Order: sequence, then C-alpha cells, then structure tokens
Amino acid sequence: MNYPVWYLPQLGGGLLIAIIAILHVVIAHLAVGGGLFLVLTERKAVKTKNSALLEYVRKHTWFFLLLTMVFGGMSGVGIWFIISLVNPAATSSLIHTFVFGWAIEWVFFIGEIVALLIYHYRFGKMDSKSHMILGWLYFIFAWLSLVVINGILGFMLTPGKWIETGSFWHGFFNPSYLPSLLFRTSISLIFAGVFGLVTGARLKNKEMRRTVFRLCARWMYIPLLVLVLTGIYYTRVIPAESFENLFHFNRESTPFITLIIVSSILLFGLGLFTLVNSSQATQKAGALVLVVICFGWMSGFEYMREIARKPFVLYGHMYSTGITLSQMDSVNSEGFLKLAKWTGVKELNEENLLEAGAEIFRLQCMACHTLDGYNGILNKSDRLTERGLEALLTGMGKVNSYMPPFAGTGPEKKALAAYIYRELQGKTTQKEVASEAPDLPLEILPFDPDTSDYVLLVWNDLGMHCISDNEKYFSFLPPANTLNAQLFKRGPLPELVKTGVTIEYAVEEGYEHPEYHSMFWEYDEAIFGTDLPEGTGLMGKGVNGTMELQGAVYAAQLIPVLPYRDDKTYNPYPLFTIRAFSESTGEMLAYTKVVAPTSNEMGCRNCHEGLWAWNEVSGMADLTAINILEVHDRYNGTTLLADAEQGKPRLCQSCHADPAVMAPGRPGVLNFSTAMHGFHANYLSGMDQEACNLCHPSHPEGNTNCFRGRHSDVGVTCTICHGTLEDHALSLLAAQPDMEASERLARQLEPVFVRSREEIKPRMPWVMEPDCRSCHTNFNIFGDGFDGTAFNRWVPAFEALYRNRTDNHGVMCSACHGSTHAVYGAYNKYGLHRDNQQPLQYQGLAGTIGTHGQCMVCHTVEMEFNGHHRNMVNRELPAMLVE
Amino acid sequence: MYDSIIPTADTIPVHWLWFQVLLILTFFVHMILMNFLLGGSLLTVWDLLTGKLEKRTPGSIPTLVALTVNFGVPPLLFVQVLYGHFFYSSSVMLAVPWILVIPILILAYYGAYLFVRKVDKAPVLSRGALIFTSISLLYIAFILVNNNTLAMVPDRWGIYFKDPGGWNLNLGEPTLWSRYLHFLLAALAIGALGRAILYRYSKIDKKEQEGQIRRNLKLFGWITVIQFAIGSWFWLAMPEAVWKTFMGGSFFATFMMVSGWLLALLILHSAFTGRLTAAMILGGLEVLVMVIIRDLARAAYLKENFHPSQLENVHELSPLIVFLLVFVLGLLALSYMIRLMFTSKTSKS
Repeated sequence: MNYPVWYLPQLGGGLLIAIIAILHVVIAHLAVGGGLFLVLTERKAVKTKNSALLEYVRKHTWFFLLLTMVFGGMSGVGIWFIISLVNPAATSSLIHTFVFGWAIEWVFFIGEIVALLIYHYRFGKMDSKSHMILGWLYFIFAWLSLVVINGILGFMLTPGKWIETGSFWHGFFNPSYLPSLLFRTSISLIFAGVFGLVTGARLKNKEMRRTVFRLCARWMYIPLLVLVLTGIYYTRVIPAESFENLFHFNRESTPFITLIIVSSILLFGLGLFTLVNSSQATQKAGALVLVVICFGWMSGFEYMREIARKPFVLYGHMYSTGITLSQMDSVNSEGFLKLAKWTGVKELNEENLLEAGAEIFRLQCMACHTLDGYNGILNKSDRLTERGLEALLTGMGKVNSYMPPFAGTGPEKKALAAYIYRELQGKTTQKEVASEAPDLPLEILPFDPDTSDYVLLVWNDLGMHCISDNEKYFSFLPPANTLNAQLFKRGPLPELVKTGVTIEYAVEEGYEHPEYHSMFWEYDEAIFGTDLPEGTGLMGKGVNGTMELQGAVYAAQLIPVLPYRDDKTYNPYPLFTIRAFSESTGEMLAYTKVVAPTSNEMGCRNCHEGLWAWNEVSGMADLTAINILEVHDRYNGTTLLADAEQGKPRLCQSCHADPAVMAPGRPGVLNFSTAMHGFHANYLSGMDQEACNLCHPSHPEGNTNCFRGRHSDVGVTCTICHGTLEDHALSLLAAQPDMEASERLARQLEPVFVRSREEIKPRMPWVMEPDCRSCHTNFNIFGDGFDGTAFNRWVPAFEALYRNRTDNHGVMCSACHGSTHAVYGAYNKYGLHRDNQQPLQYQGLAGTIGTHGQCMVCHTVEMEFNGHHRNMVNRELPAMLVE
Repeated sequence: MYDSIIPTADTIPVHWLWFQVLLILTFFVHMILMNFLLGGSLLTVWDLLTGKLEKRTPGSIPTLVALTVNFGVPPLLFVQVLYGHFFYSSSVMLAVPWILVIPILILAYYGAYLFVRKVDKAPVLSRGALIFTSISLLYIAFILVNNNTLAMVPDRWGIYFKDPGGWNLNLGEPTLWSRYLHFLLAALAIGALGRAILYRYSKIDKKEQEGQIRRNLKLFGWITVIQFAIGSWFWLAMPEAVWKTFMGGSFFATFMMVSGWLLALLILHSAFTGRLTAAMILGGLEVLVMVIIRDLARAAYLKENFHPSQLENVHELSPLIVFLLVFVLGLLALSYMIRLMFTSKTSKS
C-alpha cells in the first residue's frame, strides 16, 4: 500500500525469494558449521600428525571459500535485494527497527571474510597454532553472524513484547530466539558434515576417504538429537495459530511437511552409506545426492517457517500484503484505493470497477499471488462465482488464518471479485433474472357448515422441505416431506378424532413418479444404508398412501415428493388431496387439499458455481457438488470427492450429527447445522436476510420464495426471528463450546442482535428455535414486551416448538395457523392462495382458521370466550387477506 | 500527485546525523575499494588487450570483490535508513536489471577467481573471465547509477504505471551518462593510483618499480584532467536548483565544490611530479569530498520532498552503543588477525 508492487504475473516475487533464500540459507548454515569443521579437523590432523588429513582440510577450505564467501556472501545480499523488491514495506520495517543489529552483523561478516581469506591464503604458511586461531576466529564470527540474524529472523515469527514496546531488545531476544539458535546451529553442524563429504569423496587415497567419511558421519549424526529436541522446543514457542496453520486445517503446509519428513528420512537414512565401504564413484554420487537433499530439507523448513508466519510477514504487526494491523481500520472505513500510494485509481465507480479491481489485485494480492504462474490466482479462484469470490474475500483470515484479511471497503471487495472473475477468469456473471412463477389454477374444495360433520386440517410440518438433490456426490436433505393431519368432529364442543378413521393422501397428477427425476433411489444404499423400492421414502411412504396416528396427529412421514412434474414444470408446491374415511362404513367423512412445499432451489451455486441441474430451473449441478466437496476435502483432509467418484457418496450427517435426520454423527465433529452456519457465517458476515437468501430458497425473486406466510408481508424477515447469520451461527456454536472447530469458527464472528457473545444463549438446531411468544406475548399480535426480535428467545425444548405445540384441547398450533414460514394469510408465488386452501375452504377467509369469529368452522354454536388460547376472539384487527 | 506517491518513511532509533555520518564514512571506504576493483580490472583488461599484461597478475581482484561488496553493505544499510522510501520505490521500478546485479556479481566474483587461478593453465579462459568480470562490474555500476538517480526524482515515478514489470531504467535522466562516466573515470583514476601503490610495495626491480609508479601516476593525472570536463558536464546537467547549490546556493556545498576543484588541481601537480604519498592523500581526500558532494546533491534534488531531519526519532540509544562497542572490538580483532598473518610465517604443520 505504501510502496509500488513489482508486477510479476507469472513468476511471482514469492518464488524468487524462495529460490534465493533456500540456496543462500543452506550455504549460510554451512558457513557456520563448516568453520568449526575446518578448525577441528585441522586440530585433529595436527594432533595426529596426519598430513593427508591436513591436506584434505586445505582442499576443503578452498571449496568452502568458493561456496560460502562467494556464493553465500553474495546471495545474502541477494536476499536483501529481493525482499526489498517484493515486500519493501516489511524490509523497511526490519531495516529501521534493527539497523544496528544489521550493522553489528556486518562487523561480524567482515571478521568472517578477513579470517577466512587469511586462513585460506596462509594455509601451510603459518604456524599451526596461529592458523588454528584464525580458524577459531572465523567460526566465532560466523556463529556470531548467526546469533544476530537469528534474532531478526525469529522476530519476524515471534516478535514478543516488541509489539507493545517497539524495543529493539524485546524484538531481538524474542520467544523463538533460543530454540531457533540451537536448531540452526545443529543444522549448520549437520551441513558441515554433508558438505565435507563432497571434498572427501574426491580424495584419491581409499583409506583417507574412509577416514573422512567416518568423520563427516559423526558431524551429521551427533547433532541430530539436538536438532530433534530443539525442533520440538521450536514448535512450542510459536503462536498457537501458527501451529494450526502448519499442522492442522491448512492444507498449504502439507507438501512442505511431507518434504521435510521425506528429506530427513533420506538424509539420515541414505547418510548411513558413509559408514560402509563403497567405491569412489558411489561416494561421489552419494555425497552429491546428500547435498541435494540438504537443499530439499531446507526448502521444507523455510516454507514451513513462512507458512507459520502467515498471514503476516511480521507476525502480529504487518500482513503479507504490507499493510499493518494498525492501518486496517482506516483502510476498511476510508478505502484501500484512497489510502494506497501507488495506484492510478483513487476513486471507485461503476465505470472503473474492473480497473479498480485490477489495481487492488496488484497492490494487495500480488505480494503472494501471480495471475497464472507460481501460486497463481487463476487456479485458486476457478471454483467460485463472482459472488463466491466476494464471500471468500469477506472470510479471508477468519476460519483459516493463512490468508490476511481483505483490506478495503465493501465496494472495493466487489471490484476485486469482479476483476478476478470477469477479467482474469474471463467469465461472465449473468444478472439474476427474477423467477416468474406460473399462477397455477386452484380449485377450492367445497365445505358446507350446515351439513358437514367433520373438518379435516392438514399441514406440512416445516413449511418448506429442501432437497440437496445431487446424491451422486452427497446428500444432506433427501426427498422427505411430512404431512400432519387432525380430523375434528364438529359440534358445540368439537371432538378430535383419533380412532375409527382412515386418512389417505394422494399427490396431484404429474408428481406420482419422483423416481423419474431423482438419483435418490440410485444411491440410497450408499448414502442411507437401505435399498428402498423406487418411489418410496425413507419411512416407507410413497407419494400416495395412508397416514398413521402419531400422538395427536395423523402423519405421513418423509414422503419423497419432488417439485418436478413429469411435463417438466417446476412447482415447489405440489398439492396433496387428503381424504378421511370411516373405517366402519367406508364413507368419506371429509377431504381437503394441502401443499407439500418441497424445493431444491439450493443456493450453493450462488458461490460454488454450477448451473441449475434440472431443466435450467432448479437442482444442484455436478459442478456445484464437486466444488463443495473439493473445498471440504481441502479444509478437512477428507476424501469425499474421490469417494463419491468411486460410487461412494456420503450423507453429510454421517459425520455431522443432526436432529433433523436423527443422525448421531461422529464424536468431535460439529453438528450439521452448526458446521454449515458457523463456517458460512464467516464468509457472509455483515449482511441481513440476503445472507439467508443466498443459501435457502427464501429469496423473493427465486423460484420458491419459501418464506411466504403472513409475516413476510408485514416487514418480518428471517433475521427478525433467527438473528443475522452471525447471531444464528454463534447461538449454535455456543452449544458446542468445547470443540476446537467451534472455537475456530466463532473467533471472528461478532454478534449483531446482542451486545456480546456472552449474552447469546446456546441452542441445539431443530430442537430449540425462536419462540413465537417472543413477539406474540400473551398470544397477542403485538403484545407487551415486544422489542422487534425473537432472536435469543428459544423455546425451552423440542415439545415447545411451534410445530409440536397444542392448545389445552390437543389442537395443534399449525392446524389452525398453518405451517411454519407459511402461516395462513400466506402469499404463494405459484398462485396467491395455494397455501390458504383450507381457511378458504372452511371459512372463506384466508387467515387463521377461526379468525374473525369464524368459530363455526368447528363449533356449531357461537363461541364468546378464548377456548384455545388468550386473545383469540373479539380482536379488532382486519384479516390480512379476505376473499 | 507525487507528494501522495512518495511512501511514508519509517522511524529511526537515533538522531539522523548518526546515520548521515556513518553513511558518508562507510560509502567513502566502499568507493575507494570499488575504484580499486573496477579501475584495476579495467586497466588490467587494457593491459591484456594491448599485450602488456605481465606474468604477475593482479591476484588481489577476488579479494577486492569480497571487500568491496562487504563495504558496500553498510552504506546500502544506512542509505535505506535515511532514504529507504525513495530507494525501495526506484528499485522496484527497475527491479529486473536491479536483481540481475546479484547473479552477475556472483559470476563476476567467480570470474575473478578464474582469472587468477587459471592464468597459467588456461590463459584464454582466464582472460575471458577477466573481461567478463570487468563488463559485469560496468553493468553493476550502470544499474546503480540508474537506481540512485531514479530514487532522487519522484516527479518521474509516473513511468511505473506504464510498466510496473520492473524494466524502467532511468535513461531519460539528463545526468545519467555524465554521472556514469564521471564515476567510471574516477574508478580508472583511483585504479591507476592503486596500481601505483601496489608497485610501491611490490618486490620488483627498483627501476621498473619507479617507472611503473610514474606511469600509473601520470595515468591518474591525465584521467583527472578529463574529469574536469566530465565533472563539469555532470555538474551542469543537474537541475539548475541543484547545481546552483554548489555555486553559492549553500555555503557548505560551495565550499565542498571549491575544495574538490582545488584538490583536483593539487592531484594534477602530485601526479605529474611523481609524488605518490601526496597523490594518495589527495586522492583519498578527493574521494571523500566527492562522496560528500554526492550526498549534498541528493539532498538538493529531494529538497522539495524530503530531508532526513524529518524522520521521526524514537530515541533508542542502546543498540547504537552496542554497535560501536562491537565495531571497536571488530577493529581490534581485524588488526589482530592481520598482525598474526604477518608475524606468523613458519609452517610447523
């Protein structure tokens, strides 16, 4: 933000740093340990009067000088050059903070050079004692260089108290100082042994080669124990988040962990060859192989250190984007482009959206990413839509702290997403066209209050059942719609009929064969462990059948109805006709119709790409499902995509517990609703009900518009009852507080409807939901105590849910008021009164059964008191809809 | 616009003058060594091309590379402390040729060793290596001139937006070629002086020794004569506000410029009369004066935008004290090692 960015669209500055750093760091470590190796070997040669060994030291000194002083010394300057080109802000910070550290290191550096030059040029021309003093001085200077550099390197990962004090010494003697110094010293000794083999293998005398190889082996293996112990010590002092980034959750580290493990095994495994007799050719080749492995080992180590430091370049102070933590608030409020120095776009508008996005990408993302080369953005962003990219930017640095948070305003975020999606990916975001639903014909069945002895009330239990709809890859919502019914015998005091009747249900024409439109029966055994007859649901029900008495209701559970009609009409509100017959006479006592709301308008595609799967109208495409599994696998180390591609798709709830499908899940794994809302809340935060509409079929312009009850017309939105997505997620996460994943998902979420997280009451999904009486206190429409939200006011138990509650006479709330999310007075997109058929059938009014004194629907006499609950009669409010 | 494009500077731990003095002193040493290295290499190439290369090759070139680079580190450090926000910006603008300095320097260094070590066994390779090393050093000098001039002219930084890929050499800079030539000639002059010094301490025939010293001092003198012209060109190619600083615009700057001219005249006298010691002292002083003038010119260039005194001092003295202590100990250790080198000559091992 402060400096220009070197535009490297393919190569990437990060790769350049890595190449130079890895080459340099191996040689720089060799320069330290190798110094001790030289002088101790010389000492041994002098002591044992072994002139051949002394000659080896002389030759090795030349090799060592060419390698360390020429390549090592110059590439050290190279690192300085390259970091100042790729991340000048961080370099400047390091230079200014530690200027005298660098200056001290330079003094040691010149000491090293002078000592080594004299040691080399005067080899054999000085008395051995003086010569060895120079050797010792070289080693001391080299090690002191490490002592200084180590402090600055450690500072970058663990700045310790420097963050508060800004003190040189606090930054220098930081928490990882000692373990890092010991660790690096051990490496330097090991490398001294390995590189000693290179010169050793060229010795002509076989016996001498053997002597040198055994000597080098000691240098390789004796420091190994210290290396392992200090390595463990090292991991203990790095920040917990760094540890997480390295060893848990973040897959970026996996190749480098593998690299360091494999190269360690190879180095110390193959290194054993030094102890056995072998030909000179083998020794030469072996020595070179071990040297190459050293570079591999160092690549693994340096990359892991880099990953541990993410998302910072100076931990806790400056992000890898070059933006400091202290700048974030002003950047987010005033705008990145406004505050950035090196941009040609200072203000964002509709016309320069893509240009502005390109500027933000160059100045913010290119610190690490290229376009399509090393760490290219094209590969990393091709599984998301433009909206998904925006969500990704919102969630950066939250669930996975590997990436720094996006710095900038909301419109700038959109500009960056647009640039990546449209300009880089070359894709086009189609403007969503509002879904036009047909006004389906509706025949209101007759009801004669003078002659009808029975009233049949039927409703769907949830008001909407969604279907994940791509069982080829996974399932979390099978086709499973439940209808409940209550039959009342009319009279002055009506009777709830529970015996002597049979209640049958039948789907409307065109929906009789869900198996024609779904993969559910193809994968039922793999996903649900049962091979169901085609067209039959998980509880054995088809789309036509008989209801069974369950407590106070007759129910047909998990009917596998789909929103697809055989003529390719999409209708998420198929009608069922329900008929009640007398068991004794076979006479039809009552009949009515009800919608079985069922939608596969899965919003996953809004972010995870993919077209509609079914006739370009609805359903989850393979691409969407693949993208979802890919990201799940990447984050969690699962193999769901590969399993699915081998014909073994999974039920999400097989791991994630879910009361909705009675799945116990696996211990230690978040329940399904918590995982879904907790994860996505991090990516869709700062939004209102639009966040809900992105995933659920509740968007008013979508093909379902499931939130269609009376509430939807009086300004009540999803968030009024459930809170924002952050609130919703936090309430669920609070119910699983002791899990690492829960902490990870919650740590960056801020509640909106309450002041602090502590105020949020934990709840189990599906079991504890917002209580209607939060607003409808005293059963009034707007009762006393209503403060505009039902969030955080959960029903105490499953039985107390609206869909499970009854009045004092056993009449279910839903029987009179309609389904959740579709309470009577509902507005159905596929025909205004599609949900209101029963109130219209029985009372001619679309509102609650019995509203406006329509007690005669069930009662055959006038009622003047609140028989079912308080405040139900003599209310002077108009019905919302009256036919 | 350019006010807003100049990066915000970081804080410094002690008063800016500390860094200014350290910058000038260490850069002075670096310049002397660099002049010996570059000038010495080029003169050796000249000898080589004219068939005058002696059997005794200048074996000090690789060591000079090591020392020049080593003494290049502190001025690079201190210039970044004072002018980092300018220097990093210009470096990014010519990132590609700038980073290429490193591999080229490494190859040049190896080339220097190749030249020295293979002079008898593979003379063609050896000479080729020397030519390569010399060309590499010329390249590095050219890039440094580009970077340092670009760092001083933020009003030209708009070129970045045309090519953010790091290929922006500062070829439009009016002083570029005169500056480059000025530095190059200085390297040749001091290189010649260095050779005269080497001959002074070499154990060759006295007559030949005196001849070589005289020859190289004359070369030193003649190049200084050319420098009068090139230096004037360089001086007057600078913006008016800058060159006028040295013509009464600032007393100190004018004093330094006059000193530079006077020293040059004295150099001519000592060089053409064969007075090596005087030439050494005057040459050293001239380099110091030029280093100071160079710094004053930079300050004059940046006058409208920045002065190091504007840097925020966070007052943390202890690291400086430790550095000074380490520096003194380092000097003692260096002198001890050098003494050891000269006093211990018998191999007992």
